[in-house]
Amino acid sequence: MIGGVPPPDPGGGYVSDQNSNNIPSPMDMDSTRPSRKRQIEHSHLAPRSLREVMSRFQVEELHLTLTEGQWRHKQWGYPVLDAAPGAELYAWFSPEVTNIDNQWKKLTSTLAGLFCASLNFIENQNTINPQMSLWPSGATEHLSNSSSYLRYASLPREIVCTENLTPWKKLLPCESSHGFSSLLNSRLIHNTNYHSVGVHVRKICANTACTETFIEIKQTVALVYDFKILNSINWSFKLLFGQGLLGGCPLASSSKIYIDITSNSTTHFKLTPPPNKIVESHRGGSEVTLAIYEIKPDTAMLNIAAKQGTNNRVILNIPPPLYFNRYVLGYGKEFGGIVTEIVNNYWAPIDIVLSENAPWWLPIQLSTLRINGKAKSKLVMGQYYSPGRSRQKPYHLELLLRLPPKSTTTVTIDFEFVFLKWQEYPPDANHGFYIGSALITANLPTAKNFTGLPIEGVTFDSIFNASKPWYPAVFRTNGAMVSLPTPDFSMPYNVICLACTVVALAFGPLHNICTKELVLKATGAPLGLRQKLINLFKKKQD
Amino acid sequence: MWASASFVGVLIVIGLPLWWKTTEVFRVALPYDRINAFDTEAHYVTTRLTILACDEKTAADVADEIQKAFDSSDVIRLKIDKHILHPELQNVLNTVADEEEATEKVSEIINLDEPNTFYVVQRKPLNHHVWVGPERLAFFRDSGATSKLIDCLTKWIYQPSVLLGARSELADEARQVRFPSGSGYHIVLSVVHPKPHKLQVDFDAAEAVEDYVGTFVDKLSELHNFTLKSQWLYLLDFEFQARKVMDSSEVGYHYAVRQERLHSLLTKLEERAATHVSEQPTMNLALYVVPCEISPLYIYDQNDKKVESPVQAFMSPKWGGVVLCSPECGAGVYRPRSQLVMGTFVSQLRKLLGITEKVTIDGVHLVPLHSVSPRDWEVDTLLRIRTLEQVSSAERSLKSLAKLLGEISNIVINEDVGASITTAVTNIHDSSELMMAGELRGAHEKSRVAFLAAETAFMEPSLLALLYFPDDQKYAIYIPLFLPIMFPVILSLKNLVLWLKGASPKEKLD
Repeated sequence: MIGGVPPPDPGGGYVSDQNSNNIPSPMDMDSTRPSRKRQIEHSHLAPRSLREVMSRFQVEELHLTLTEGQWRHKQWGYPVLDAAPGAELYAWFSPEVTNIDNQWKKLTSTLAGLFCASLNFIENQNTINPQMSLWPSGATEHLSNSSSYLRYASLPREIVCTENLTPWKKLLPCESSHGFSSLLNSRLIHNTNYHSVGVHVRKICANTACTETFIEIKQTVALVYDFKILNSINWSFKLLFGQGLLGGCPLASSSKIYIDITSNSTTHFKLTPPPNKIVESHRGGSEVTLAIYEIKPDTAMLNIAAKQGTNNRVILNIPPPLYFNRYVLGYGKEFGGIVTEIVNNYWAPIDIVLSENAPWWLPIQLSTLRINGKAKSKLVMGQYYSPGRSRQKPYHLELLLRLPPKSTTTVTIDFEFVFLKWQEYPPDANHGFYIGSALITANLPTAKNFTGLPIEGVTFDSIFNASKPWYPAVFRTNGAMVSLPTPDFSMPYNVICLACTVVALAFGPLHNICTKELVLKATGAPLGLRQKLINLFKKKQD
Repeated sequence: MWASASFVGVLIVIGLPLWWKTTEVFRVALPYDRINAFDTEAHYVTTRLTILACDEKTAADVADEIQKAFDSSDVIRLKIDKHILHPELQNVLNTVADEEEATEKVSEIINLDEPNTFYVVQRKPLNHHVWVGPERLAFFRDSGATSKLIDCLTKWIYQPSVLLGARSELADEARQVRFPSGSGYHIVLSVVHPKPHKLQVDFDAAEAVEDYVGTFVDKLSELHNFTLKSQWLYLLDFEFQARKVMDSSEVGYHYAVRQERLHSLLTKLEERAATHVSEQPTMNLALYVVPCEISPLYIYDQNDKKVESPVQAFMSPKWGGVVLCSPECGAGVYRPRSQLVMGTFVSQLRKLLGITEKVTIDGVHLVPLHSVSPRDWEVDTLLRIRTLEQVSSAERSLKSLAKLLGEISNIVINEDVGASITTAVTNIHDSSELMMAGELRGAHEKSRVAFLAAETAFMEPSLLALLYFPDDQKYAIYIPLFLPIMFPVILSLKNLVLWLKGASPKEKLD
């Protein structure tokens, strides 16, 4: 899915009239079409490399996102699929796998090679298996106890760039030569506030009894443009991608572009060329109007553009029903704390699962957990805590919270700073250490601002009028950064040099005293020139 | 002086050996003497040849001639048995209509399924001097056909030159083409369709692979593990730089692509074929559907001559094969003729796996292949080649490793590597014994274990753990530590020696 509509400027107080559009309008990309093939060894549209990975490591479901920048839920609303900053990978393995940790290590190394990302740095020490926050979305054999087959890891330090985009494009049957992916010009899409590419693989039922399964491979892109960088509040494909769209992928059964034009009723903008279709969707108390462009392989060059009616208008930003913020407390190099503020903006309570994970070098203590400043809180309905182990296992805390209506809940947990061994520091250690995002799994009672696909949905049109009692969503909070006590790295060598000098200085006289004998010399013997000089100095001192 | 002596004692007598011991590179004990005793050039394979002739003289003549011809070869030893055909069978053989039927009759009496054997049977009413069938059996007319028989044994069946190439350090022609030994192979058929919007291609790649390639590799399953895969690659554009040539065909023209140009196509295919994702070597088979603009496309060789063959195909040694398929455009749907295409792929696979092309010999009739499966005796040949190759390769790997260990002092050999080296050494020995005894299957199994163990030992990344620790950093630490301490201690040695010399006569006086 490609974000075709720029969000409001997050920097200043100015908010554009497209605030409800700030979710990237997803297009039904050719790649989101499931590639279905019965046999493991043969693939048609599905990339063989991914198939190979799935079958070799017996992966049931796999989600990989590579993201640069932070999604700002308060200003931008909710994305179709949220992603943690940096690299994020989670996978469910088949129940037949006996040594999941081993398999996970192999999987991450293979994916690291496939996507040119540092996923090989995922080890047991930064992997957790969430108990409550993540659930498989595909047809899996293990409905209960799925969390023991799940592994989750994120690398917040990972920098996502062109070298990750190229292998991502290669997975598409049309690569970057045709279709929507030809728009992804790395020079322009990396010049955005937020960009995220993702690969999501799951199994879906091939028949109603679900005796056979297909594999669905979904490739996603989300981009958020900054009006300041664009230097205009009007946008067009030419402006966003540097070029127009020259037809869809000839292998796609359908290619569509959806643009959210709900705000057009209040602030007028004009879309050129006019869309093929305008659809209104009522879903869980929210009304969304979408303009749909259908792209055929032989469509002529298409440059969708939006022109605003007026230039200077201030629109109030209405935050989504649930948003959150995370920051680090403390001063000095001994103790600190992580604060997660969760705001329920809705008139009814919302149940969420907050999954905090802290690396082993940031030990968080359950005893220091405070909710709204109190150690015991009625808001906590369930909790899971897995203490970390030095160099082996991260700290992992999950809280099932019921957020009261119209409230702000503050979850605070303290940590200690740890001294690392000198080889454990990353390059440029003074830059600081990243803490991964927390996962917030919510059952939203309203679909306001929510654009996620229903669980059975394959393409974006499945959101039309898809009202449900609740809307499950997984969000990632922003990451944070701490600065650990960092030594001067030339220190070991300095210490060696200093120690050697001291030893050498001490050893010389020691050796002398021990081995040399004092011999009496007869008086009156003629003085040598040297002795005369020494006597001269001695006299002066007296 | 005692103080001086104790300094020397602590620093030189205790300190130096301690320092030496603690900074030593970890290495488990290795069977160096056995590794150095490897004599790769001495390995040979024993194989059994049975001659069945109508009379004793023919049998003896043929056996002698063959024995003489193979005496010079040190890579293969023939164990020749000669028998006289049972008169009844002789009768049957002389009366049956054709050789296929004769083969059937022979197989009723003799077990032709035993590996590493070959039967040469006399059959008088033969149209050729020698007739070689798909099973481990050849017919010859009379003792006059012995030279032809020897020709066909050397060139087709035993191939001592190829065996020699497998054993020697330098690769011969066949070894340059075939894939190096491995634990298994992936065979991937990629259907490349550059213009899916212009032409529809109807081809069941999965079925074709399983039918043709599957049947072919079934018989080779004792040699390697095979995994069959297929994929489609769309929109892979390649600039053939084809030129239009007018001709007398139905359409009146064709397009010509130079042979040199095709190597760039492999690069293009390699980018997309995702061969790197599997840990095992991949044999690539690519069916390239030529775009309509340059169809029909023909390959022109170096001399700018059209390659006359029903299928335009080429092969890249140790990589795979490509078939260029020119569709008849305008029909809308194109169905490649899978028999022709897959037949070409199978013949390419034969070469890639090490089955050499059979040169024609005058007067010798080789029954052409009726199915995709390789001939029985071709599998035997392959077994011999692979066994010899794996044993020699394992020996060479271990020898180079032993040499490297001698040359580079900071290579670590941990227990795992040590264990694989020992496994390799024992299996090499076992395999070599079995090879000489003619137990080909067992020898191959052992040789494979040896080969894989030697490769793992040689390629183990833990060997390099300390390789890149720079020497200058060592000196940077040692010099400030040792120089100021050792200097006075070593100087005091002189005094110490003098004192010892001076002290001993004194004691004598007392």
